[in-house]
Amino acid sequence: MMIEQNELLQQLSTQLGPEQILSTPEACANFRIGEQVPQLVVSPASQEELSYVMALAYAAQAKVVAWGAGTKQSWGNPPQQVDLVVRTDGLKRVLVYEPDDLTISVEAGMTLGELDDLLAKHGQMLPLDGPLPRRATIGGLLATFMDGPRRLGYGTARDLLIGISVVEATGRISKAGGMVVKNVSGFDMMKLYLGSLGTLAVIASANFKLIPRPRAAATVWCGFERSEQANAFVDAIHASQLLPVAVEYLSGAEQARGLKAVAVCAEGLPAAVERHVRDLPNLARASGVHSLEVLRDAEHTAFWAGVNDLPQTAQVADDEVVLRLICLPSEMGAALIACEELRDQLAALTIDARALNGVAYLRLRGEGEQLKRAYAQLTAALGQRAPSARLNALAGQARGQLPVWGRAPEGIDVMQRIKDEFDPQAILNPGRLADTLMR
Amino acid sequence: MNRAQVIEELRRIVGERGVVDQPDALMTYDADGCVMDIHAPHVVVLPTTTAQVAGVVKVAIRAGMPIVPRGAGTGLSGGATPMQGGIVISTSRMDKILEVDTRNNRVRVQPGVINFELSQYLKPYGYQFAPDPSSQRACTVGGNIANNSGGPHCLKYGVTASHVLGVQVVLPNGEVIWTGDGVSHMSGYDLTGVLTGSEGTIGLVTEAWLRLTRLPEQTRVVLALFPDIAGASATVSSVIASGLLPAALEMMDKLAIKAVNDMYKLGLPESAGAALLIEVDGVEDGLDEVLAEITEVCRSYGAIEVRPARTPAEQNQVWAARKNAFGAMGRLAPTYYLVDTVVPRTRLPHTLEEVGRISREYKLPIANVFHAGDGNLHPLILFNRRDASQNQRALEAGTAVMQVSIDQGGVISGEHGIGVEKQDFMTLLFSTEDLAAMAGLHQSFDPYDLFNPGKVFPKGRGCGELAALRAKGVEWSELKERGKLWL
Ligand SMILES: Cc1cc2nc3c(=O)[nH]c(=O)nc-3n(C[C@H](O)[C@H](O)[C@H](O)COP(=O)(O)OP(=O)(O)OC[C@H]3O[C@@H](n4cnc5c(N)ncnc54)[C@H](O)[C@@H]3O)c2cc1C
Repeated sequence: MMIEQNELLQQLSTQLGPEQILSTPEACANFRIGEQVPQLVVSPASQEELSYVMALAYAAQAKVVAWGAGTKQSWGNPPQQVDLVVRTDGLKRVLVYEPDDLTISVEAGMTLGELDDLLAKHGQMLPLDGPLPRRATIGGLLATFMDGPRRLGYGTARDLLIGISVVEATGRISKAGGMVVKNVSGFDMMKLYLGSLGTLAVIASANFKLIPRPRAAATVWCGFERSEQANAFVDAIHASQLLPVAVEYLSGAEQARGLKAVAVCAEGLPAAVERHVRDLPNLARASGVHSLEVLRDAEHTAFWAGVNDLPQTAQVADDEVVLRLICLPSEMGAALIACEELRDQLAALTIDARALNGVAYLRLRGEGEQLKRAYAQLTAALGQRAPSARLNALAGQARGQLPVWGRAPEGIDVMQRIKDEFDPQAILNPGRLADTLMR
Repeated sequence: MNRAQVIEELRRIVGERGVVDQPDALMTYDADGCVMDIHAPHVVVLPTTTAQVAGVVKVAIRAGMPIVPRGAGTGLSGGATPMQGGIVISTSRMDKILEVDTRNNRVRVQPGVINFELSQYLKPYGYQFAPDPSSQRACTVGGNIANNSGGPHCLKYGVTASHVLGVQVVLPNGEVIWTGDGVSHMSGYDLTGVLTGSEGTIGLVTEAWLRLTRLPEQTRVVLALFPDIAGASATVSSVIASGLLPAALEMMDKLAIKAVNDMYKLGLPESAGAALLIEVDGVEDGLDEVLAEITEVCRSYGAIEVRPARTPAEQNQVWAARKNAFGAMGRLAPTYYLVDTVVPRTRLPHTLEEVGRISREYKLPIANVFHAGDGNLHPLILFNRRDASQNQRALEAGTAVMQVSIDQGGVISGEHGIGVEKQDFMTLLFSTEDLAAMAGLHQSFDPYDLFNPGKVFPKGRGCGELAALRAKGVEWSELKERGKLWL
């Protein structure tokens, strides 16, 4: 920071009330990220206040981290410096909602759960599942580009985000997109901010395309003794005409019941759902299923709520790391077998894979050396058997010793130019994307 | 470098046959499907490989000449028109389908592949490339990516951006990168996402991994006829709100029905004031019930007739009529000006009334053929180009349609892009700050305005100038000023 904490505090106080600012070391300690404890934590209550805070921070060259509920602050590298945490807990309003348009505009601090409660009243949904929906905010979901099991059927935020409003590093407010479901008026800035981990701007509000809640839903849960059988079932689903909205490979989790489970979720018209309930068991049997169950209603809902939370990074045990494995879907089977081979040498291993999307979340438990060895073994095995795979280390104390982002993508020079253009003083989450970007 | 030197260098890179420089031949590259603005290029090159494209870009950098990417030239906003001359890079010889990988739902193609040919090629595999612009028999996937094109089935399957997994691009500095290959959650920024829909201004797509979509098990199509457009548009809102999620929901009004009736011998009653083409697809189970429900909604809003198209031949006939409706306009007037805007779906009935009012006010017939399910209007303003007064009125009527759409909470383009046609209307929709952010993105790729210059951003607002605005902080004095406003 160029100026003293006191001076910035004074400037902030001219516009924000005392209840909106935390400045004591004890209070700020709750917003620690890695080794970094901020000097100030502020909660603007409107987009304009957010803009004001950001402009002051820019003038002071204070390093800024946007904070929703903090459930995914461990993602990416810890910022090199944090002076100011800007919370979005004061930004929870619904800005526009005309149910019959099937679109909504909400502020970034609204939680996924709050949004779902509102939409449920109108028989609609935003089919973006995220862990800990009662805590996690829309802004955090977008900034981390977190996905959920139903991305198979409904896509990700890339497909559902139709407009955005951000506050840039300088405090300028800019928006893009709109409140319509199809739009090529200007550049697609939504894609730029999605997944940018707060390194380009602070997301203030977001507009989404909504989907009517399905009229029927059911889960076909299939337990297998061996991963190979589970993988064969996944392949058979892919080759069929069925259109499940989620196909989740589970192992080591309560939901897997000691087996390698594949849980398939079907949603939509009652007749179409029943078709899945009828056909999936046949495919599962052909793959050698050990046990099979159909879940409906409350059981179905509770099951997926549990699966949804498996990749959460808010509560990670001291001896645990959370990894994300990404690969081409065709290599997922081999990658999962490579993961399962680690089981014997770890205290615990949980696998939650969106099997047809090529995304898996792993929770590894063990003491430091064990984790490091397991990671090295996994990387070597993946290199041989699933060459498209990459590992991201998302959370956990032992993570510091692992490469956070894995192999770098192409186009780093242009990404760096974007970063420099949008955040010339490198004050937004500095270092978060390090080892992908320079600053 | 003088012109002769440039052409010689280009010949060296793409060969004799890959360079067009005869004045008459250049004339065929002076516009796209939007004939409002015309300008010929200095030279056209027809490369076959990425390396050739990169070589051409490097020549352009040295010569300080703009590059204008061009697919099939079916764009409707002047995107492929070389407004400042320069080098047009046509992808027409980069037309190979390189690799089909059904296990990963992806296909690798060169940008000049024709949209329809790709889908035909994929059919035997049981897959399709879902975006299906009405121009699909002519337009290229490179053009689809650059314009983030839509089409009737995007209602259910989403626009092109949802179907591009990664692109190989030549950047304005001559660098070649792949932005992805279908592995989700790559680290860093989503370059695939920002390149899609960037209208050839920040990168030239030389290859792409596109997403494959499984062909549905079953498809059902009906054509519902209404006495007037009000009933049809109320039906659209109601079907969307009911959650039945059709694959496509397309509307034609009285004038359009007349045009396609004559041409396709559909035998639709002339009394019909509007027609809705509705398609549902998916697993067979439940499809008939959905169709029955939709039919019920149509009837409750006054449909006079709901005709199922049962056989594939019948379905193709109805779809051909819809997809070629623009072509059929030639039966009604020498020229049309197609205005592409979008409104929230509940605003369709009112917006269409306003379009009717605009038609009366500017004394020009307007036909409507559009993607109703998405709220994506396409009023076709019919006029005669030779008549100066009609020309002027057509432009003014187009502007009026855009203004009405914005007033209704909509936007100025749903799928055809901004290009030249709508660049000066960007300020109706976006603030200087909004445009400056877009300019910032643009500058990160193309600081010297080499690729497709003078497009998308309002005329006279250079990207550099706009982007520079952003770098400036918000002044303390301005903040205090604002502070006062709130107190
Ligand atoms: C009758 C008719 C019906 C239409 N219906 C639809 C419809 O239903 N939906 C819809 O969305 N559009 C529609 N269009 C508009 C148009 O067909 C689409 O925008 C199409 O995608 C353009 O493809 P093209 O190959 O003709 O591109 P072009 O017109 O050649 O170029 C379009 C833009 O893309 C850029 N470009 C082209 N290739 C590349 C590349 N390889 N890399 C980078 N930039 C590139 C150009 O510079 C230009 O800015 C229609 C047009 C007509 C004439």
